[in-house]
Amino acid sequence: MIRLYDHELSGNCYKVRLLLSLLGEQYERVPVDLHPIRENRTAWFLALNPHGQVPVLDDSGFVLCESNAILVYLASRPGVPDQWYPRNDVQALGRTARWLEFATRLSGIISAARNHDLMQEQADIGALRSKARSLLRVLDEHLWFTEQAGRGWLAGEAPGVADVACFPWVMLSGEGGIDRLPWPAIARWTDRVKRLPGFVPMSGVFPASPGL
Amino acid sequence: MNRWFAVARGTEVPRRHVGHYLLLGQELAVWRSDSGAINAWENRCPHRGVRLTLGSCEGEELRCRYHAWRFASVSGQCTLIPAHPGQKPASTVRVRVFAAVEHDGFIWVNLAQGESPTAPTRVAHVLDSTRSIFVDAPLYAVRETLLDGYPVDSTASRLAVWSKDAYCLSAGNPDHAALVTFLLQPVTDFQTVIHGALHTTVEETARLARLRRHNAAMGTVRDEAERRAAAATGGGATA
Repeated sequence: MIRLYDHELSGNCYKVRLLLSLLGEQYERVPVDLHPIRENRTAWFLALNPHGQVPVLDDSGFVLCESNAILVYLASRPGVPDQWYPRNDVQALGRTARWLEFATRLSGIISAARNHDLMQEQADIGALRSKARSLLRVLDEHLWFTEQAGRGWLAGEAPGVADVACFPWVMLSGEGGIDRLPWPAIARWTDRVKRLPGFVPMSGVFPASPGL
Repeated sequence: MNRWFAVARGTEVPRRHVGHYLLLGQELAVWRSDSGAINAWENRCPHRGVRLTLGSCEGEELRCRYHAWRFASVSGQCTLIPAHPGQKPASTVRVRVFAAVEHDGFIWVNLAQGESPTAPTRVAHVLDSTRSIFVDAPLYAVRETLLDGYPVDSTASRLAVWSKDAYCLSAGNPDHAALVTFLLQPVTDFQTVIHGALHTTVEETARLARLRRHNAAMGTVRDEAERRAAAATGGGATA
């Protein structure tokens, strides 16, 4: 039985919910109230994850924190198609690791900008938006050339954990005042993600109409 | 302004996608109906003002995200108000639409209202096109930078660039035909997109490498134009 310690508005929790749904997994959601009561700083939660952060996965007693680690674990279990974490293709695996690193950079910057705009947290918002812009430019360029080569996904021929890891933070960038208008190749990729069977939205992320 | 501007490569607005673009400060929702009609609409639902780019393309209609009102391709006329399904929406309930056409590999938009648009701009002999580059600099800074030469393929010698009109420049050897045509899209007073049409072909195996060289060269132009624009405004960041 999979249990996810979860917060609806967390982009990193959404990553995990999205992959679980794409894989067709049943799971139990345990909401952790981050605001205002900071349940993530309570003794019971810190015993689960000493970093005091959601998400945390509990798969029949195997407990794992850090969203990218959870994605890799979930996608590597027996019976899950290879495409999600391409462990038998070293180049695709390397590219996957590269875009997981990218997702970490993106989430650090966009979550700080979003917390500034939504939660009034202190930040050098101009510097954050400028860094986000540089990262999104790299992503747009990569996706444009990927399309030109006849592919549609970040790390390989098929969608994988790299796409799932980056998608939430791209979609939430607007909540940090980061404009996606300059990046049309990113917009087309987000449509492709939204049309994957099993796609689920979150607050502020809308589904797409059915594709052709 | 009664003038046509390229806003996107045609292949970059696939069916069932609602593209978000800006032209002269006008926000646009650009989409292609299933039957192939190109739409460039004011990005604003006439009901409650929500961006139509948040909505979805349903084939021959665009559906607003907020109250699911539906608007018909080409006319922008509201076809269904789900809260009043038995009532025919008034003919005045329609999205503001702009003239849009697709040719020479690009989608062109004319913002002129209340007058017939002039004949569309044509770019002869387009065989491929580069990745369009978003520049945080006004159009004049992009033009000036391009006119200094286009640094593709060689850092030592740049291709000559000449102006065809205010929004269109060509690069190549002036004694011969142009190799590249740059179409400048004024996004806002301080942002510009450079579209690049290529007039020669290469083998498919060399195509991606060539597109990457142009992307790098246009990136160099972008960086220089942004540097000049920042210097012109006293070193401060634009916007």
